[in-house]
Amino acid sequence: MLKVENLSISFRTDEGLITPVQDIAFEVQPGRTLGIVGESGSGKSISTKALMQLLPGNGIISSEAKILYTDKSGKTRDINRLGKKGRAIRHIRGGEIGMIFQEPMASFSPVYTIGNQMVEAIRLHRNVGRKDARRIAVEMLDKVGISNPEARVDQYPHEMSGGMRQRAMIALALSAGPALLIADEPTTALDVTIQAQVLELMRNLQRDLSMGMIFITHDLGVISHIADDVAVMYLGTIVERGPTDKVIHEPAHPYTQGLIKALPSVDRLHDRLTPIPGDIPSPNDRPTGCPFHTRCTKVIAGLCDQHQPQILQVGEDHTVRCFLHEKQQRASA
Amino acid sequence: MTMDATRMDNSTKQENELLIEVKNLEVRFPIRKKKLFSSEVSYLRAVDDVSFDIRRGETVGLVGESGSGKTTVGRAILRAIDPTAGDVIFHTREHDIYLDELEGEELRRFRKKMGMVFSEGPHSIANMASDILRSFRPRMSLVFQDPYSSLNPRMTVRDIIAEPLVASGMMKNRDKIDQRVRDIASRCKLNLEHLRRFPHAFSGGQRQRICIARALVTRPDFVVCDESVSALDVSIQAEIVNLLKDLQEEMGVAFLFIAHDLSVVAQMSHRVAVMYVGKFVEYAPTESLFYKPRHPYTHALLSAIPTIDPDESFDPIRLEGEIPNPLAAPSGCRFHTRCPYATEQCASEIPTWQEIAPEHFVACHRVDEFDFSRDKQSADTTD
Repeated sequence: MLKVENLSISFRTDEGLITPVQDIAFEVQPGRTLGIVGESGSGKSISTKALMQLLPGNGIISSEAKILYTDKSGKTRDINRLGKKGRAIRHIRGGEIGMIFQEPMASFSPVYTIGNQMVEAIRLHRNVGRKDARRIAVEMLDKVGISNPEARVDQYPHEMSGGMRQRAMIALALSAGPALLIADEPTTALDVTIQAQVLELMRNLQRDLSMGMIFITHDLGVISHIADDVAVMYLGTIVERGPTDKVIHEPAHPYTQGLIKALPSVDRLHDRLTPIPGDIPSPNDRPTGCPFHTRCTKVIAGLCDQHQPQILQVGEDHTVRCFLHEKQQRASA
Repeated sequence: MTMDATRMDNSTKQENELLIEVKNLEVRFPIRKKKLFSSEVSYLRAVDDVSFDIRRGETVGLVGESGSGKTTVGRAILRAIDPTAGDVIFHTREHDIYLDELEGEELRRFRKKMGMVFSEGPHSIANMASDILRSFRPRMSLVFQDPYSSLNPRMTVRDIIAEPLVASGMMKNRDKIDQRVRDIASRCKLNLEHLRRFPHAFSGGQRQRICIARALVTRPDFVVCDESVSALDVSIQAEIVNLLKDLQEEMGVAFLFIAHDLSVVAQMSHRVAVMYVGKFVEYAPTESLFYKPRHPYTHALLSAIPTIDPDESFDPIRLEGEIPNPLAAPSGCRFHTRCPYATEQCASEIPTWQEIAPEHFVACHRVDEFDFSRDKQSADTTD
């Protein structure tokens, strides 16, 4: 339903043009969840904002990028051609693609009640009257597990707790009936017990509504329980992409391997953690060649620091950008 | 460095020596509701009747969800917040000090002696310079969560790290200070070339290493790490956890490691305490707590950690509802409103804090009925 190709995003800044996202490609199918994992600055949030033309004013999407979206009526459009303003994109934002952010307090207006904001969103995207819209809002709040929705609908965001606000956020995003939901770190600000509740809720809702979902997080543990497919991002490129259990059990890229090894686990109390050496380079001075070569333990001198590795197939639907595999494949061929 | 030698010697010799004893600690914050002509005061019990101890050179992990009072416990031990009731006893090598009884000038002097540094926000500690009692050995310090807001952007890294020494009056000689700063900076794996730079040039991981160097430069006995690795990326987080462990081994410092991420706490700590709405519900050696938890809340918390292994079933125990507001904490056992095993007794009586196995403390009425042991190969290696 969503197919992204050659997406690069640049920003005009005082220090010149920086490119935090370079040449990424992914697709989302209805009823499936794509998880995007990456550390801070890897460009995971920016690339999904581009999908809805929500980049700030100094952001530029490369002209050769294709963001093909097939909407509910089966029409396919390139969002990159739609521009930032106008009817078509406004219809897609919210109506076709819904979005949930990390900080629910920042995404609700503090001066309107939850119901007010939901009714506004529903009426914008569905052809219903005020009364019906309110009924839908109450139904949605009930669906996301908010007790006593008739009373809650008239409350202000500050009157709710963190977990409840995030549920209300989900209800708001779903109330317009989107076909694709983008969730940007929706559980990061929540406590673990509440996080478990919200994850279960999102999984159930997705199954019931057979929505496509893009789930962005830095937490590999969360990803492995919610996503069908995973894309691992590092410094603006997708270094590995594949089915979740493949990527977690047989990580092909040294960065993915390092991430998994660096994770503290309750089951390995006595082992020392293995961090990935070095720091994440700033997007201002991206390393040439493979972006990970400065921290990679398996770096091939003269190759990784000079050339950008190409996307390679290592398994069914499992691709990786790394020279190590190119070598192996050539050796076996 | 003869002091180093004796310190090392002592820390290996006296492994079980008590460092801090907390007894029935209580912290209340007054909440004033203004009315037209009068005001109503109610009290928020952030910490209620908490007792535990920390040994020399040990890491005690403190976990709990937001609003459970973890940070307040840490700050009350440092006397950055005044406890309303209870004892905090700092065992020095010479004699014990009752921290909660210190007042006014005496408290100020103690803080100086301890070399406590609070650089979160624009606190100026320059005027704290003092020549009181340099020889006093026990010191404590604090490492904050956000390495971006806890470093003064106008000071060089060298000055930031040296500040506790200057502020406490521990050292006056510039060369000696430089030497100490370089020593701790290299232990914290900072590039000595970078000491002349300003903090804006550094990444999150490097900044947190600067914060750690600053906290350890006075060679404290006790450091509170309040969510010190929570804001860092996974690859960097592992590095800082390893660094803290190494420094502990080298310097014999004790940590109170406050975090909401249970897997990091498990990795760091010798013993772990679980807090729920201002009270400790369980305190035990790490292995026992994670593999043989006895409190239903600990069990639920552990089940809610999403593990990376998709083979392992992820079946979090559904806790009903939300964490109660500490302003209106539930009666009896505070967890009874969400506990799947709650009885009438739980709603009315406060469970006692009892030692059910050596060093394993739990507060639950029905503790004898539960066994939440997880069958893990490493579960039988200790206790």
